Amino acid sequence: MPVRDEATDEALASRAARGDNHAFDEITIRYQARIYRLACRLVGHDDAPDVVQEGFLSVYRNLASFRQEARFGTWLYRIVTNAALMHRRARTRRPVESLEVFLPEFDAAGRHCHTPAELQVAARADELLDRRVLAEAATAALDRLPELYRSAFVLRDLEELTTAEVADVLGVEPATVRQRVHRARLMLRGYLGALAGVRP
Amino acid sequence: MTDVSCETGVELLMDYLEGEVADDMRSMLESHVAGCPKCTAFIASYLATPRILREATVAAMPPEFQRSLLAFLRARRGDGSR
Repeated sequence: MPVRDEATDEALASRAARGDNHAFDEITIRYQARIYRLACRLVGHDDAPDVVQEGFLSVYRNLASFRQEARFGTWLYRIVTNAALMHRRARTRRPVESLEVFLPEFDAAGRHCHTPAELQVAARADELLDRRVLAEAATAALDRLPELYRSAFVLRDLEELTTAEVADVLGVEPATVRQRVHRARLMLRGYLGALAGVRP
Repeated sequence: MTDVSCETGVELLMDYLEGEVADDMRSMLESHVAGCPKCTAFIASYLATPRILREATVAAMPPEFQRSLLAFLRARRGDGSR
């Protein structure tokens, strides 16, 4: 079994930028599972391998531009997220129905239109639905999110970066991240509720 | 104290959870939710949504792709490290 390198990400990036290929191998091994999972969430399982390859290759080619004061992980996520975005734009995709229909509904006085039981059912989607059905529906739902909301939601809520880290990755203000993630959560919450049998 | 509506509470929910609303609005929101079973139910499902999506979209990297990724990157770098 190869000996793992215990150096920090930033130290490995510095060595890799100076031509140490073993350091770049270590970066790849250290991050590949997370980057693969991120790519699956951003572009789906079929396209994820291409995005992972493109992402790591782009990281390698841009090592010289990595600034040591930044966190390497955040920089890596930014490059792979951009690779996913470019990949999606390059592919012709059939139009998908927007998730806007799953936003919550209110009456004229601003009160929820549904009963508490109906409003809560999304929280039980994982109990009420078959695991495989839910997995396929979840992947399809991410695909149906508007582009801006998808990357913010995936990074913040699925990859569990902080709001500040997502803002850094996407190059936007934290308030913009909160707005995009919130909107995505509202749509997905309604979608889960509909899957479990209740309209939003 | 003026009550806020369910709709206002939903609009401000993420900011509230991240500590980004002013103290007076925070108090009004908490007061509203304490007396509103619909908002209590809504918040439960809102909070559960990221967890459910996260657990439903966990993807394990296939071992064969782990091997092919390293080989691909080494070939593109033009080095023969093994």
